Amino acid sequence: MNQLVYLVPLFPLIGFLINGLGRKSLSKSLIGVIGSGTILASFIVSLVLFFNVKNNGAVVVDYFNFINIDSLKISFAFQIDALSSLFLLIITGVGFLIHVYSTAYMQDEEPQHYGRYFAYLNLFVFSMLLLVMGANYVIMFIGWEGVGLCSYLLIGFWFKNDNYNYAAKKAFVMNRIGDLGFLLAVFWLIAKLGTANYADVFAHASSLTPFDVTAITLLLFVGAMGKSAQIPLYTWLPDAMAGPTPVSALIHAATMVTAGIYMIARSNVLYSMSAVTMNVVAIIGLVTALFSATIALKQNDIKKVLAYSTVSQLGYMFLGLGVGAYTGAVFHVMTHAFFKALLFLGAGSVIHAMHHEQDIRKMGGLKKHLPITHLTFLIGCIAISGIPPFSGFFSKDEILAAAFAKNPVYWGLGVAGAAMTAFYMFRLYATTFLGTFRGTHDQEHHLHESPSAMTIPLMVLALLSVVGGFVGVPEILGGHHELHGFLSSVLTTEVAHESSKNTEYVLMGISVAIAAIAIIFAINKFSKKPELQDAQGFGKVLENKWYVDELYDTFFVKTTLAKAKFLKDIIEKNVIDGAVNGVGKLVNYSSRQLRLIQSGQVGNYILFMVLAIVVVILLWVNDNHLYQYISKLF
Amino acid sequence: MNAIIFSALAGVVMMFSGIFTKNTSIITNVARVALAVLIAVNLLDTYGGWMIAVDTKNLLSFNKFGFFFNTILFVATFLFFVLSGRDIEKVGSYTAEYYALIFFSLCGIAVLTSFNNLLMMFLGVEIMSIPLYILTGADKKNLKSNEASLKYFLMGSFSTGIMLMGITLVYGATGNFNLPPISSAVTGAVVSDSIIGPLGLLLIFVSLCFKVSAAPFHFWTPDVYDGAPSVFTSFMATIIKAAGFFAFIKLFEERSSDLRVSWKIIMPVIIIATLLAGNITAVFQQSVKRMLAYSSIAQAGFMLFVVYANNNSIGKEGILLYAAAYSLATIGIFAILIRMKDYTFNGYNGLAKKEPFIAAVNTILLLSLAGIPLTAGFFAKYYMLAAAINAGGKSVLWLVVIAVLFAAVSVYYYFRVIQAMYFKEGDAEVENVNNRFKFGLLIIAALIISIGILPSVLLNWFYF
Amino acid sequence: MSAIQILFWFLSGLALVSAIMVLISKNPVHSVLWLVMVFFAISGHYILMNAQFLAIVNLIVYAGAIMVLFLFVIMLMNLDKTSDPQKNWWMKLAGVISGGCLLMEMATLVRQAAEMKEKTVMMKEGSIGLIGNLGKLLFSDYVVPFEISSVLFLSAMVGAVVIGKKN
Repeated sequence: MNQLVYLVPLFPLIGFLINGLGRKSLSKSLIGVIGSGTILASFIVSLVLFFNVKNNGAVVVDYFNFINIDSLKISFAFQIDALSSLFLLIITGVGFLIHVYSTAYMQDEEPQHYGRYFAYLNLFVFSMLLLVMGANYVIMFIGWEGVGLCSYLLIGFWFKNDNYNYAAKKAFVMNRIGDLGFLLAVFWLIAKLGTANYADVFAHASSLTPFDVTAITLLLFVGAMGKSAQIPLYTWLPDAMAGPTPVSALIHAATMVTAGIYMIARSNVLYSMSAVTMNVVAIIGLVTALFSATIALKQNDIKKVLAYSTVSQLGYMFLGLGVGAYTGAVFHVMTHAFFKALLFLGAGSVIHAMHHEQDIRKMGGLKKHLPITHLTFLIGCIAISGIPPFSGFFSKDEILAAAFAKNPVYWGLGVAGAAMTAFYMFRLYATTFLGTFRGTHDQEHHLHESPSAMTIPLMVLALLSVVGGFVGVPEILGGHHELHGFLSSVLTTEVAHESSKNTEYVLMGISVAIAAIAIIFAINKFSKKPELQDAQGFGKVLENKWYVDELYDTFFVKTTLAKAKFLKDIIEKNVIDGAVNGVGKLVNYSSRQLRLIQSGQVGNYILFMVLAIVVVILLWVNDNHLYQYISKLF
Repeated sequence: MNAIIFSALAGVVMMFSGIFTKNTSIITNVARVALAVLIAVNLLDTYGGWMIAVDTKNLLSFNKFGFFFNTILFVATFLFFVLSGRDIEKVGSYTAEYYALIFFSLCGIAVLTSFNNLLMMFLGVEIMSIPLYILTGADKKNLKSNEASLKYFLMGSFSTGIMLMGITLVYGATGNFNLPPISSAVTGAVVSDSIIGPLGLLLIFVSLCFKVSAAPFHFWTPDVYDGAPSVFTSFMATIIKAAGFFAFIKLFEERSSDLRVSWKIIMPVIIIATLLAGNITAVFQQSVKRMLAYSSIAQAGFMLFVVYANNNSIGKEGILLYAAAYSLATIGIFAILIRMKDYTFNGYNGLAKKEPFIAAVNTILLLSLAGIPLTAGFFAKYYMLAAAINAGGKSVLWLVVIAVLFAAVSVYYYFRVIQAMYFKEGDAEVENVNNRFKFGLLIIAALIISIGILPSVLLNWFYF
Repeated sequence: MSAIQILFWFLSGLALVSAIMVLISKNPVHSVLWLVMVFFAISGHYILMNAQFLAIVNLIVYAGAIMVLFLFVIMLMNLDKTSDPQKNWWMKLAGVISGGCLLMEMATLVRQAAEMKEKTVMMKEGSIGLIGNLGKLLFSDYVVPFEISSVLFLSAMVGAVVIGKKN
């Protein structure tokens, strides 16, 4: 099976090359088939690899020496184990569905841009695969940067709109800040251990000092903050909704933003060694989960709500990682990939039907016009709210149970966040699908269910959202938690659940009950009388996202611009330009002077040569004194 | 020994070919065939296939390093013949004799790559140089050519005098001319603390500096290179100069025990002076030909690092690479220059529009001279600097930094040509461009790039 | 001071004075004649060193053949004093000073050398300069450079033809 490994990233790469180079000559349908087909092929290979790993264990395939400097050897190698094979399935599986969906969603684009879109999308999948398949941090970093680039390209896909370009730029810059942390961590690792291979790093992790471990893990976490949109680097994600909706589903919900979780889960050996980092991760995750949930309460853009919801759910995953529930976090990545992709695609279907209207205040009563979309969206909402037996329940419950074992306060805040999640999701659902239609007559006339290329992925994802949780049914509910068994080879054993069975039942009951209450309240409140006015008072603060963007703008952007202006106007103009031009002038001047020695007179030349010989002999005779003098100088 | 005998024979053959035919293109083809044979017999010698065995009484010693150097220089000469054969025919009415002189010069090179005795070194240097004095003055109707020839001869004689003085002193100290010093039973004159032998060596060093145009013994170079017919400048600036470096290496490899601590002072001084004189003066030139003359001085500054590094293995690998990279690139640039109507920078204006292929090749070659990565020139410079660091450790870092700074200066004047070709409006004129010429250029460019990507191919070959 | 030593110093002084006179004579013909004197003095040194063959060859080839050619050429070119380019006085001075420095350095260094102390030159010793020994050496140990130097002369001849012949 090892010889198949390279095929997984190769297919999307081929798709990228064909679509990218042939975008002006290929027809739309061919582009769609190539774009989706390559991902399907990758998915099939991934399935093979997955079962191979399940039966025969992990493999590392070493292809060639990538970097070879002195004693540092970094090979281009892929590691296929439980963790990466699971991610492969998520990426290629969900990725394939979203590609299929895109063929219909992007139908209005010109062929050239259509090809560009699929080329970017394939390149993204390729980079994401590199990220999870790499057998060392360097390969992971290549993928890490690659997905960042594709995210940038796809957010700014409609580059004629300046706001979209700003959003793309913002995402890129925020990610770069995080990447710096990642890079520093990798350098630190290489400096201390002389290797970046997972296997070697984890084997020798015990030789690191506690300070090193904490520093490395915190720096890695900074990288994760950027990529997975955690406080304080989360603000790019809501703006990233400027991209086409399938892109939001694939990159900004299902795959790329979970790269940070993957990376920490991958490095769990290191993280488990530093209690400080674990606490930081848990607290940042929890705060992010709550903070973004409050913002989501008052958003009126269908995609923005989902975006803040994503940030919030990512916060839960980090909470899981922080309390040691690595499996729970990975589990939640998987279920979240299903239901959040479903929700985004559903939102896309609505937007498609509404002719690119995204404000939910202008929707309402779409239930009868878009029956399939409505049903699947409802399933997604139930899943994310954590109602059993939908998938979200199991994964969220696992994280919350682990949080309770660590610290009941974490659990309490987590449940509060879950309640808010249920509330805003059903606010969104009720405002959009229930009640009466509030758009223009013209829009109502054109309302229609989306084509099957869009609805079939919705149905598949809805099915997965319903049953996806059954791979991780906890033992107290009579399950075996197969995911846990599968991942145990990669992830360290979690903190033991000290709470008794009864406590767990109670905890579960409380969180489900609160979520259910929030749902009923939300449906009651918004199906009849949706909020159509701009929010007042505190609600206004929430609607404006706690003014975080404005805060960042004042503190970071403006001060940086002021510094940049100073450097540009004063330092660059006078000092740098002066120095550069000065060197140029000096060289030119000395050139003119040196040229004069070249007089053309043989007599002069010979004179200089004789003088040179005299000097050389003098140097030669006094060598010892001179050498000592010079060696003192340097 | 094959190379020495066959190059002399080839010279004689070329002399007589002039009697039988007046058709210059036939003569050129004879020269190409003769050179191909020369390369072949040298390769046979290299791999022990067939060689004329002569008892040289230990005056000559052959090794693979020397053979490889021969091969590189002969192949470079071959490409020179292919690219510029037509232009040699045009210099004057003695085509056959020009070729004969070039072959004699190659004979001198073959002696220089194998000498084991100061007497042979002297002979080699002279056999190599005397034909050049004549080739420099080959354009008899041109006053500049005559002047250059006379200057070259006068100053060359001066440096020969210095070299003879040095050899005399070495003889006085040791009683023989042998390169690895052996104590002479006859005179018993070897004295361990002798100052005369090293002093003689110093004088030989000075005269070799003259031959490779290291500053401050470089003054002849710009005048001679500028005055000589461009084809012969191309030959002198590349193949001859590289051979001069080989003499350097060979001499100091065998005599390293005579080097005193002063080496660590004199060599950096000479290197910096050479880099300074070459790079800085090149900046102000208006003629590409004269700029290339200064550039050849600057490149010599880099090659001197191998002498400084005391011939460690990196340095020896590096000088092979440097000789190949520098010779190929300069031969190509000169081949194009010769066919330009106007030798000034302005003469290149707009070449890219008129002859995109030639402009592209010229750009690659100039980039190689400047030492931009992915060209042979980058690794050549890299190996030179690495050799110095390997030999001197941290104490030479300052020298390396200075060298890199000067390499940055060199980018300025090389890029002026590129700028003229691509970014300036004008109608540069190239004459006599045919497919064979383009093919030769293509080969040179391909070699430059392939060495630049895989320098180890050339170097691995060196080890076999 | 023996007669041989006296002779040695006399010949050395003659060679030096003649060489300087070659440089400072205004008339080129005088320069050539002084050069002949230099060659005579050096031939005298050869004889002192028991190298009669070299002494004779030096006289015949240099003082005889080459110098006569020089004289012919100078007379044919009909140079007179006015055509002699006037050198810069400062340049002359600089040349003398730098040359003098070099001479001083070399002399100081060579004088310091252990093997040179208290010695002038080995006279009447060795027989390598005798025609028979020289011949044997040239055709046994030094046959390779002897043969290879023919290439040097050949190229010089070719060069002379190329330069000298009319187009």
